Order: sequence, then C-alpha cells, then structure tokens
Amino acid sequence: MTERNKFISKKQAEESRRGFLKTVTGVLGSLLGLIVAIPFLDALGIGGKKGAGHFARVASVHSLPSGNPKDVSFQDMSQDAYIRQMVTRDVWTIKHSEQDVTVFSPICPHLGCRYNWHADKNEFICPCHGSVFNKEGKVLAGPAPRPLDTLPKHIVNGDLEVKWERFQVGIPQKKVVS
Amino acid sequence: MHWLQERWPVKEVFRLAMEEDIPGGPRYSYSVGSSLLFIFGLQVVSGIWQLFYYVPTIDHAYNSVNYLRLEVPFGWLIHGIHYWGAQAMIILVALHMVRVFIWGAYKRPRELTWLMGVVLLLLTLGLSFTGALLPWDEKGYFAAEVGTSIAGTVPLVGNWIKGLLRGGASMDQLTLSRFFITHVAILPGLLMMFIGVHVIAFRKQGSVGPWKESKRQTSGPFWPDQVYKDMVVISVLFLILLGLIVFVRAPITGPADPIDTTYQPKPEWNFLFLYQALKAFKGAWEPVGTVGLPLLGILLLILVPFVDRKLRRNPAKRPVAMALLGVAAASIITLTITGYLSHPGQSAAGTSGSSGGSSQQAAPADTTHSVDPPGGQLSANAKQGKQLFNSLGCVGCHTVNGQGGKVGPNLSNEGNRGRSRSWLISQIQNPKVHDQSTVMPSFSGQTQQHVEDIVDYLLTLKSGPGASGGAGSAPVAGAAADTSALPKSGERKGKPGPAAYMIGNPEHGKQIFTQQCESCHGLHGTDNVPNPGSADGKVPPLNPIDSTLYSRNAQTFVEHIDPIIQHGSMPAGPHPQLHMLPFGDSHSLTQEQIAEVEAYVLQLNGVDRAQITHPGIEPEHFFWGTLALFGLMGLVVAIGMIRRSPTRRH
Repeated sequence: MTERNKFISKKQAEESRRGFLKTVTGVLGSLLGLIVAIPFLDALGIGGKKGAGHFARVASVHSLPSGNPKDVSFQDMSQDAYIRQMVTRDVWTIKHSEQDVTVFSPICPHLGCRYNWHADKNEFICPCHGSVFNKEGKVLAGPAPRPLDTLPKHIVNGDLEVKWERFQVGIPQKKVVS
Repeated sequence: MHWLQERWPVKEVFRLAMEEDIPGGPRYSYSVGSSLLFIFGLQVVSGIWQLFYYVPTIDHAYNSVNYLRLEVPFGWLIHGIHYWGAQAMIILVALHMVRVFIWGAYKRPRELTWLMGVVLLLLTLGLSFTGALLPWDEKGYFAAEVGTSIAGTVPLVGNWIKGLLRGGASMDQLTLSRFFITHVAILPGLLMMFIGVHVIAFRKQGSVGPWKESKRQTSGPFWPDQVYKDMVVISVLFLILLGLIVFVRAPITGPADPIDTTYQPKPEWNFLFLYQALKAFKGAWEPVGTVGLPLLGILLLILVPFVDRKLRRNPAKRPVAMALLGVAAASIITLTITGYLSHPGQSAAGTSGSSGGSSQQAAPADTTHSVDPPGGQLSANAKQGKQLFNSLGCVGCHTVNGQGGKVGPNLSNEGNRGRSRSWLISQIQNPKVHDQSTVMPSFSGQTQQHVEDIVDYLLTLKSGPGASGGAGSAPVAGAAADTSALPKSGERKGKPGPAAYMIGNPEHGKQIFTQQCESCHGLHGTDNVPNPGSADGKVPPLNPIDSTLYSRNAQTFVEHIDPIIQHGSMPAGPHPQLHMLPFGDSHSLTQEQIAEVEAYVLQLNGVDRAQITHPGIEPEHFFWGTLALFGLMGLVVAIGMIRRSPTRRH
C-alpha cells in the first residue's frame, strides 16, 4: 500500500469508527429516551376507569310532589382522585307513584350545561344552546343529540336512592364516563 | 439540517459544546460528571411529572403521592425514578468529588470549578433534605422536625433560622409550603445556574487528563468518543436504577402522625454520618456537633484548592492529600454504618434529645408509664408471664400501669399486696375459690409453668398505691362506657373513616397492634383468646381473618375492617366480657394509627396494602423487557466492535 493509500484508508477507518460510535450513542440515547418517554406519557393519559359506583340517598319518595319535575339536592360522597369529600349534587325527579320515580341527570346531553324546568311551557329548556325536552326527556327542539339521561335508581324503605353517573356529551349514544 | 443551519447556528453551538480534545483520550472514569447531569435531568422530568399529581397540603400530600404510585399507570416508575434517582445523585456526587480530588483537578487554574462543585454539593444535599418532607410521611416529617431543630441549635441566630425554615414555630402547613417551593423551584433553579457555570468553567480549561506525562502523548475527542463512553455508563446506571425501582420499592413509612411515639425516627441514609457524629456532643457541646462540624467540613472543602497549591497531580506523590481523603471517606462510611445499625432509646446511656424517637420495646402509648417495673429488668420467667398476661387476655379485664380493662381490679400494685404465690396461683386457676360470684374465667387449662410465670410477673408489679389508669390513650376493653350504641358483630354498620383511604406501613402497624390489639386478638392475631359470655367464647382471630371480611383487593379488604375499628362492635352472646372498642370514634387511635394497623392486618392475611392497582406494565415485566432491549443493543454493539477490530481486514 502506498503512503497515501494508507493515509486514506486510515482516515476512512477513523471516519467509520466515529460513525459507529455516533450511531451507538444515538441508539442508546434514543432507547433511554423512549423507555422514559412512553410510560411518562401514558401516565398523563385518560384516568383509569372508576370503580363501581354507589347509591346515595336523595330524598324520601313521600316528600316529592306528584306529577311535575322537582330538582332535588342531596349529599353524596365523592371520590376525586385522592380526595374524598361530601359534595352536594342535584337531580331532576318526576314522581309517578310511590313506587315509580324517574330520575334525570341535570346535565344537558348536548354540551354539559344545566337545564331548567319551565312550568309555564311544560318543558325542560337548556339556556346554553336552546335544547328543549318534554317531561319524558324526549328532545323537542335544539341541538341535543339524545334524550335526557336517566340515572340508575331504586327505592329502599320509601327512600329514593340514586347512583351518580356522568355520560359523554355531544354523542347520540348514552355512554357512561364516570 | 441545511435548512436549519441557514437560520440557526446549529453547527457552531454543537462544535462549541462538543469539540474538545481530551488529553490522554476519553476514559470511563471521566463519565461520572455526565452521569450526574443525566440523573439530574431525570430528576427534573420525574419531578415535573409528579407535579401533575402531587399537592403540597398536609391533608392531601400523602394520599396524592400514593395515588400516583399505586393508581396512575407507570406512577410507580415516575415516583421510583425520582426516589432512587435522588439516592443515586448523592452517591454520584460523592464519587465525582473523589474522582476529581484524586486527579488533582481542583488545582490551579481550576479552583473556581471546584468551588462551584462545592456549591453544587450543598444544593444537592439541600434538595435531598427538602424533598424528603414533601410526602408528609412519618420518615420525612420527623427528619424535617429534627433537621430544623438542629438548625435551631446554631448560636445566636438558631431560632431565627429554624423559624425561617419552618414558617413559624411548629411543623405544619407553612413548613410544607416553603419546603415545597424550595425543592421544586428555588434549589433546582440555582442548581441549573451553577451547573451552567461549573460546566462552562470546566470547558475553558478542558479535561485535566492523566497526571503521567507519558499518558498525555495522545488525545481523543470528546465527541463522539467520550460521549459514547458516557452513554454506556449512563445506560448501565439506568438499568441499575430500574432494578432498584422494581425490586426495592421506595418505602412507604406511613402518614405523618406527630403524636405517635411508636415510630423511631432516623435520618435518610446520607445524613446518618452526621446523626451518628452528633451523639458524641452532649449537652452544651451540642452546637459544636450540629453547627461546628458541618461548617468545618464545608470550610475544608472550600479551602482545598487554596491550601494545596502544589501543581503536582500524581496521587502517589501527594501522600497528605490522599491520606486526608482516606480518613474522610473512612470516617464518613464508618459513621454511616454505625448510624444505620444504632437504635437510640434502647441504649442505657442518654442520647442527645434531637436523635429522639422512642423505645422499640412494646411500650404502651402512654409514655409517662412503662409496663416494665421501674429499676431493673424482668427475669426471664416474668417476661414470659408478661407475654402471657397480654396474649391470654388478662389485660382485657385488668389494668396494669395505665393499660387494660376495668372489669377486674387494677393489678399495677399487685406485687405489694402481700399475696402469697399459692394464693395467686389458685386465683388464676380457679378464681371461684376466693370469690363465688366472680366473673373471672378459670385458666385451669394453662400449664403449671405458664401460671407460675404469670405469678412471677404479677409479683414484679409494684407501682405504688393509688396507681390507676394513666393519661388518656389506653383503650378500655369491656367496661364502663355505654356499649348499647355499638354495632353488633356481623352488622355492617357505620362507614369507613379517613383511615381506610390512607396507605399505612405494616411494620409500624405491628408495633401499634402489639400495644393495642394483641391483648384481645392474641399474638400476631392468631391466638384464640377467651371471651367469656360471648356466643363462641373467643375473640375472633385476625390471622386468618373471617372470610367475609377478607378480600384480595386491598381497598375492599380495608373498607370491610375499617368500620369495625372506627366504631367498635359487640359480639353475639349473652354477656360478652370483651368487645371491640371504637378506636376511631373514641380517638384512642388517630386515623393515621388505624391506617397503620390496617396495613398490618392485611399483611397478616397476605395482602399488600400498597398494591399497585394500575401499573401500566407490571414493574417486573418492564424491568426484564428493558434489560432485554439493552442486552440486545449491547450484543449488536459487541458484534459491531468485533467486526471492526483491526485484526479483521475487509
């Protein structure tokens, strides 16, 4: 080999050596980065599915007026990540008889506002975008994609008990999210 | 790249940062500094990630940390990286300092780089100290309690410093808030600043390189050669860290409970040498140990490059420097080990108050009395007798030195009543012989030896006349309080209390259990302790616990047993002498203590209170998977290197 050729091949060897080191460094670094990044990003994702809900006592059925909807507030134990505390919630109740009460979630299925009962019009009307529902929860007008969401309920010893659930807004299906 | 280069000075910045010739070539021993930088980066990222979940308030801090660790996918990894990363950082800082010292890289003109390093050391220790308090757990709480009190021993300004650290006189919310901001913003900010100065100063002079002139004939580039070596070291370090995270979980020491005396506080391992050294300075000499020693140490570190002005760097030619290094390292290591092994409060000699903590013996919660007689140890027989007194349920009806029930007479002074051995023996074996109407059960089923041992114990009880129940917290089994409101056993009445939502520490729970529960539920919750008058005649065992209470799911299990501990329970039967006390409602135990006991009861039944409910990927699988990936990578690198080796020609 001539001197010049030796020099060139030495330089090539040097370059390829450097290239090899750079590659390995890059791969190791990326590996480390991914092993940290992927779990960390997953940790920020959607929270885990909530456990089975519980039924909270809302009111005695006897105290509810017959016929027309009544907005009833009640105390409920809320589990919010690591915070457990009593909170006040409310639901719309319609008493048909001492054994039959319809319970609606107070959250409009369109985009999550609170709607109101208008006795003069015999309708539920949501102030945000004008959705209108009848006493059975059916959509009469406005952008609501589905009827009012009913909540699981049972009557125990004359007391109305309700399981608080939230549903995904803006879709035609009634899907529990928490 | 070209597009970028046209707009940003990418190449120039890269060259400035990365192109450096290392005299003597790159070495693995130079990687410690970069490893430190890597770990610090991990700490920043894992720290920020924890902030998505952690809240610095005393009511929620502890639960927020556990929520992250157990219920957030990969939360165990985020928290684990931060915990073990902190330990790693301290070790690496020490290694780095030692490496730099041995190489003499603090000598002119690198003195300021060294000084910046000392500042970084102090900032790192500060981060370690402030971070420990944030979970508001037993260990961190007491470490900060003691640490701030030590700061208070500084002459003249001590109280002011202590008040500044605590945000007041006591350890409370304001303390947590300022430790939080210090740990999360102030110290990291300073650290980043000083790292910048440290690295820039280092780059100006470049690596100091080998001390032997012969080894300095060649040189090698920082990029990519040293960076490659650094990356290998960092990868190995990361795998070690991951192994620790997965197989040696960061401890859960239980929620901070300032009134609890059963926990033995000790500092984090990296402060153990100070803790141990402090014991040599008693009374008025204390400030010398708490303030003088550390200041002296720091001063010495600062002075190193100014005292040692010779430019010689070969360690073999610097005997004094190397000897001092050896002495310092040996003393710190020795002190750390002895500090780790020590158990103050058990030794006869008094220790300085700040090294605090109570005895590890099963002392009752009321610390003004001790079940041990004053002055003198119990004989072996009496010790056994005391054990039996507890496990057979005697303490359920009889009070001894403030602890126990009120169904039968107080026995605290029994040794002085002039009763003969045979009287006591027959009282235990057949109480109706002395009193026809007694409700004391007969213990005739016990062996003669056991009865003799109990009598031996009783005869040591000489606390003097008028001995009666001690202050407050001893529970009263059986007795005087109105028991009609208690739920009947088998009734699931009452809601779980806050304790059910705190993760306790089963080791600590065991200590509380020994004091408060063993007398009725027996040693380790197994013995069938008699409960005369109850339907099945026995106190229910906790190990194994009734199958309707048991659950494999820790949270469910705890929610079953918590109402019973909180609100008490009355066993079925005509006239049960013992019933479960309402430890929560009566405040005999704090919610934190109940949480600890619950963790222990779960442990007795093979359930881990600190179950990871949402791991993301199971920790062990994650570890082996990562190891496999790196192993594969290592294999590829090895093959690549073999193929490239000069003996193989293409």
